[in-house]
Amino acid sequence: MIKKFLSLQWKEFFRSAAFQKGIAIKILLVLAALYFGGCALILGVGLFFILKKAVPGIDPMTTVNNFIIFWFMLDLIIRYFMQQMPVMNIKPLMIIPIKKKTIIHFLLGKTTVSFFNILPLFIFVPFCIVLLFQNSDFQYAGVNVFAWFISVIAITQALNFLNILVNKSNTVFYITLGLLATFGALEYFGIYKITALFGMLFNGLYNHPYLVVIPIALACFLYYLNFDYLKKRFYLDGAISKEVKEVETSDLSFLDRFGSISTFLKNDVRMIWRNKRPRQVIFMSCMFLFYGLIFFTQEVYREMPAMLAFASLFITAGFLFSFGQLVPSWDSEYYKMMMSQNIPYRQYLESKWYLMVLAVLVSFILSTPYIYFGWDIFGMIAAGASFNIGINSFVTLFGGALNRVPVELNAKAKAFSNTQGFNPTQLLIALPKMLLPVLLLYIPYVLFGLTTGIICLGVSGIIGLFFKNYFLNIIEKTYQKGKYKTIAAFGEKK
Amino acid sequence: MIAIHNISKTYGEATVLKIDKLDIPRGQSFGLVGNNGAGKTTLFSLLLDLIQPSSGYISNKTIKVHESEDWKPFTSSFIDESFLIGYLTAEEYFYFIGELRGQTKTDVDKLLAQFEDFFHGEILNQKKYLRDLSKGNQKKAGIVASFIGNPEVIILDEPFANLDPTTQIRLKGIIKKLAEDNAVTVLVSSHDLMHVTEVSDRIVVLNKGEVVKDIQTSEATLKELEAFFAGNAVQSSEEE
Repeated sequence: MIKKFLSLQWKEFFRSAAFQKGIAIKILLVLAALYFGGCALILGVGLFFILKKAVPGIDPMTTVNNFIIFWFMLDLIIRYFMQQMPVMNIKPLMIIPIKKKTIIHFLLGKTTVSFFNILPLFIFVPFCIVLLFQNSDFQYAGVNVFAWFISVIAITQALNFLNILVNKSNTVFYITLGLLATFGALEYFGIYKITALFGMLFNGLYNHPYLVVIPIALACFLYYLNFDYLKKRFYLDGAISKEVKEVETSDLSFLDRFGSISTFLKNDVRMIWRNKRPRQVIFMSCMFLFYGLIFFTQEVYREMPAMLAFASLFITAGFLFSFGQLVPSWDSEYYKMMMSQNIPYRQYLESKWYLMVLAVLVSFILSTPYIYFGWDIFGMIAAGASFNIGINSFVTLFGGALNRVPVELNAKAKAFSNTQGFNPTQLLIALPKMLLPVLLLYIPYVLFGLTTGIICLGVSGIIGLFFKNYFLNIIEKTYQKGKYKTIAAFGEKK
Repeated sequence: MIAIHNISKTYGEATVLKIDKLDIPRGQSFGLVGNNGAGKTTLFSLLLDLIQPSSGYISNKTIKVHESEDWKPFTSSFIDESFLIGYLTAEEYFYFIGELRGQTKTDVDKLLAQFEDFFHGEILNQKKYLRDLSKGNQKKAGIVASFIGNPEVIILDEPFANLDPTTQIRLKGIIKKLAEDNAVTVLVSSHDLMHVTEVSDRIVVLNKGEVVKDIQTSEATLKELEAFFAGNAVQSSEEE
């Protein structure tokens, strides 16, 4: 039976529309997978040596154990936003004589091999190997390392199953959220060092290999909970049904002040608020805000304004890039209606443009804490925001015009199988978006100094704004030229 | 009102639609019938400029639809669920369409009040998004949305499919009234010969992309259509 399921899955995967893509995309995907895998591998191999140097005198293993709870928490959060829930096309199987148990076991088993469960292997396998074979003052017993490794994997699997429950059941969601918040508060206000407690627990796991049964039991318990949950709801109107959410209506009349484009703005706000995929984009955009921390905290980059400009640009560009590149696609589910309705193209585009500009401004306001790193840095962020508004917004919209991939609004994008809205043209257009501002800052910097560079970058954005109508005209024409192709592409079933 | 000139649509080798000439005068209620693959939806899509004609053109009130967008303000349509915005409630959707067509909220509310019967208490105030409504109820919402903003041309593809019997009968009443009262041109396609003869002044039969019958509706029309499609069935079973 399992074999039959596997063959069904195989066909589903290889016959899915996402897979019928050009060779270029496949190569890019493989490269991306290699890149991430490689990064994880390097981290895994290097972790021991990095920690030994960074925290001298303390056993790197202890350091890892002290902080591993943050890894697991991050893991859970990222899973919640990114991991797609297991759905097998169950409906046709329900009336066929297969035991419910078999189907559920398969469904849950399938989730254990997701990308999110494999990535940790890339880090922890090399890390453990290094532990066993390095020659330093610290030596590690094979049994302990092995048991610890199994514990980590078991906890990863436990998180996997927990995440399924969190997604399916509101009760579990609120309990988990409550727990995380309590932990955070306890730690933050210094009432109780919860991380220290976890550090102790994980060190205990390492020091007493037989304790490995606890994480394994935890994973099994959560598996059982899932199994039970699904089994009780194995009906068309149960767990496998589409979730019907009660409507949350909100008064958006404050957007009316935007005049003729307010109709679209209101619609876009609802679209983002009520669908899973756009919500994911919002989450990603928030991650972009922290991009600066990687670069600004490192002394190495202090004297590399090109890199700093790059980072500054990204801080305010999260929403612009991730939302903007899919601009007509967001409306793909009802594009035919949009095209036969009484809609001037111009207003449609303009409202999207305003939305992106608004997002850049909000990100800019949120980025004020970066003043901590000095006014130069903040100046760069401001100039980057200006460039994003004046130039990148148009380039992104233009790129969208060439993009004809339908987006399923209310489904989370899968990690790595998400090639929706991803094509070589898009990539080509992404280049000037990132290179141009770096050049605009770097060349004046070399010639006249940093301040001139910042001013140059900032002014370029303002100049771009003056050409708004001209740019929008070009984009509008491009959209109209591709109209039939876009309608046809959006009409194709995913 | 609508004039079709030498229109054709081909995909590779296959011609899916070829109509030399077809005029639909203002105020006519026009029924389109044909088997699957006869070209009904293709014709409607061409009319709405959703696909590009391989040759010829369609003009709507003298405006060539693939050259100008000026036909949009007075034309409305409901082809399939992809005309609905799934994440809106029915009310929000109606107001959205209303705003696009320059109607105020009160205008829309007034119009919706006329369709209370038709909605049967299952569309408005439901606290549900359109994507969570049943197929039939989605269709009701889509059809009524196409009446917003006093359109002069209304295009409905298979409006009777998926509706319950009561709603089908009410929809017939609505379409008949539209055709009589406002001199609105209504274009309806259907597989249900009885319904379509009841609501249309004129019926055109498409077969494999070509017009094979063009009938002014009379008492005898239903019989004629049934004979045609039955004959078609006999013919194709003989071919096999």
